[in-house]
Amino acid sequence: MNKFTLAAVAAVMAGAGSAQATDIEFWYGNTGNVEVAIKAQCDAFNASQSEHKVNCVGQGSYEVSMQKAIAAYRAKNHPVLIQFFDAGTLDLMLSGAVEPVQDLMPEVKWDSYIAGARAYYETSKGKLFAQPYNSSTLLFYTNKTELEKAGITETPTTWEGIIEAARKLKAAGHACPFVTDGDTWRILEQFSARHGLPIATKHNGYDGLDAEYVINSTFAAKHLANLVEWRKEGLVRLAADTKAGNYTAAFNAGECAMMEQSSGSYAAAAKAFDGKYELTVDMAPMYKDYTRHNTFVGGASIYIMKGHDKPEIEAAKAFLDFLRKPEQQMAFTAATGYVPVTTDVLDTIAKSPDANSPKYATAKVGVESMNQPATADTRGIRLGFYVQFREVFMEETQKAFAGQQTMQVALDNTKKRGDQLLRRFEQTYKGKQLP
Amino acid sequence: MSSESSLFSHRWLPALLLAPLMLLIVLFFYVPVFQAFYWSFFLEQPFGGGSEFVGLQNFQRVLSDPEFWGATGRTVIFMLTASSLAVIVPLMLAVAADRKIGMSYPARNILVWPKGIAGASIGVVFAFIFNPFVGLMAPLNSLFPGLWNPGIDGTDAFVTLVAAHVWSGIPFNFVILLAGLRSIPPTMYQAAAMDGAGPWRRIFDVQLPLIMPQLFLTFVLEFTESITSVFALIDTITGGGPGGSTTLLVYKIYVDGFRGFDLSGASTQTAILMVFVLLLAACQFFFLGRRINYER
Repeated sequence: MNKFTLAAVAAVMAGAGSAQATDIEFWYGNTGNVEVAIKAQCDAFNASQSEHKVNCVGQGSYEVSMQKAIAAYRAKNHPVLIQFFDAGTLDLMLSGAVEPVQDLMPEVKWDSYIAGARAYYETSKGKLFAQPYNSSTLLFYTNKTELEKAGITETPTTWEGIIEAARKLKAAGHACPFVTDGDTWRILEQFSARHGLPIATKHNGYDGLDAEYVINSTFAAKHLANLVEWRKEGLVRLAADTKAGNYTAAFNAGECAMMEQSSGSYAAAAKAFDGKYELTVDMAPMYKDYTRHNTFVGGASIYIMKGHDKPEIEAAKAFLDFLRKPEQQMAFTAATGYVPVTTDVLDTIAKSPDANSPKYATAKVGVESMNQPATADTRGIRLGFYVQFREVFMEETQKAFAGQQTMQVALDNTKKRGDQLLRRFEQTYKGKQLP
Repeated sequence: MSSESSLFSHRWLPALLLAPLMLLIVLFFYVPVFQAFYWSFFLEQPFGGGSEFVGLQNFQRVLSDPEFWGATGRTVIFMLTASSLAVIVPLMLAVAADRKIGMSYPARNILVWPKGIAGASIGVVFAFIFNPFVGLMAPLNSLFPGLWNPGIDGTDAFVTLVAAHVWSGIPFNFVILLAGLRSIPPTMYQAAAMDGAGPWRRIFDVQLPLIMPQLFLTFVLEFTESITSVFALIDTITGGGPGGSTTLLVYKIYVDGFRGFDLSGASTQTAILMVFVLLLAACQFFFLGRRINYER
């Protein structure tokens, strides 16, 4: 608990300097080129008017940002705006610490957000809780140059096709045909969504806090077991199997030929490939017998925290309005590869002379992926202590990849431990209703 | 009042001088400790929206959780292996540096330097040294592919962690043990040598018995330190993985509390860990401490 108090004190000290009414803070978690883009937006906002000033504070990661927000909220020194990632949606909805954006800004045309992005962050009655910000979804990247070298002329779109291509690559002496880090978001959540499979009962928790995990009995279990087999065969590599030690770096360096990764990695991959390899990016692969459904929106959204006075809320609204502007969203997309999720921006891009420019490549395919037919199980994930569930999933499946247990045992354990988390969450928030 | 207190003419002055330090200790130790114990009896919502008194339910849950016992088991294994090595290795170095062999003077100096390196930095360096593709083990790996990979194999990751901990423990224990050795009067060796004791005999019969107080100190500190200070190493080298194989209790508490927002579970484990460390230190003093002769 030492760290907790430290964080609280740090937050108190950090807050001491910002007393002016129109000065507000916005906490974000990204680093690297995304942070550069966020800073640019903050500067642009501050330069565009003189009434409000937003002070953008990078916290290093989504988790750290959240830890500090919790400490700061308890010390009543929290920022007005905070960015938080997909997995914490329910924790924030029930926290009582945030105000739904749609309540504070009823005049905004929230309908312009594409359904796939809304569903993840809205209440069961359709009220948007947070403003989607850096939105991404899962895409499939290939190194076309390497694929062609192995005699693969057509980019695969199915898992069957990927494995066939991987066998050819391996036969041609390629050490790393397909790479993944085994992350929950990539190999479980996005897989289940686009194959129309539930992750938990009650439509992934949207219909009540008494949901239970079903991941050990859906087709996802079969896919995950396949990944283990394919790794043994040398077709699939994990991050730790690569020289780079990081799967995105391994792909960007040309060590690995194919990967599943967020659209947010596009800019970095395109930059690394420039002049050396040809990059393709497409929707994430399907098993051929399954119908494609939408992928989840990933990345993060911005919440307005409670307990601030009117001028501060006004400043927050002005900043959110600014971020929704088409030219801001377009610049952010071009700089990062994140996907714009409002229809007006997509229209603007389509009409612009750069419509087919690579900087908007992920926008088109990402939105297409999120706009596939939805079911009640592909709206999003509304499960408590979900961040902890992701840790459990990673821990158990890593044991399966290392051969300490079968994937089925790993998933049975994950379900059991996950259900315990859900029951504890239910008890922690006893008497609260899902909004 | 004793004679020491007469150093201060004013009776409030000592209290006043102590106050800043006491304030820090209360603020950063006693308050969090109290809060951890308090929360361990509640189900606490992260943002403080409400909390429910659940009695001993958190303890029941934690103590019946195989993950908790797994992490506890790893903590004990780490404590026994890493802290023993973290005393034995510096002991060998100190005995060597104490003798008048070549380079022993510069060695006495150089071996203290790692003390200046933060745990997290050591972690970053060791992650690189033990990297399966570019590190020390890379040549072995190219001969036997897949022999060493701390990113996949839990045992390899654990070994990396132990190595990093032992290395980071060298300077402090080395200084303490060397100081102990230096304080042994040379006449003792001379007398032993006169009686025909060889170098090994002199180590086991003269030096080791005479530095027992220092050895005891380093063991007590190491045992308790190894439980908590390993956090920085885990966070930078393994992140608790692969497959939870390096999730020691102190790291599990962090993950549960700060990444999973399970404040009650983390508090409960903190309370248990704290009691465990106190008991451990008490046992050491009770069973070992009274056998040590501090007189020379």
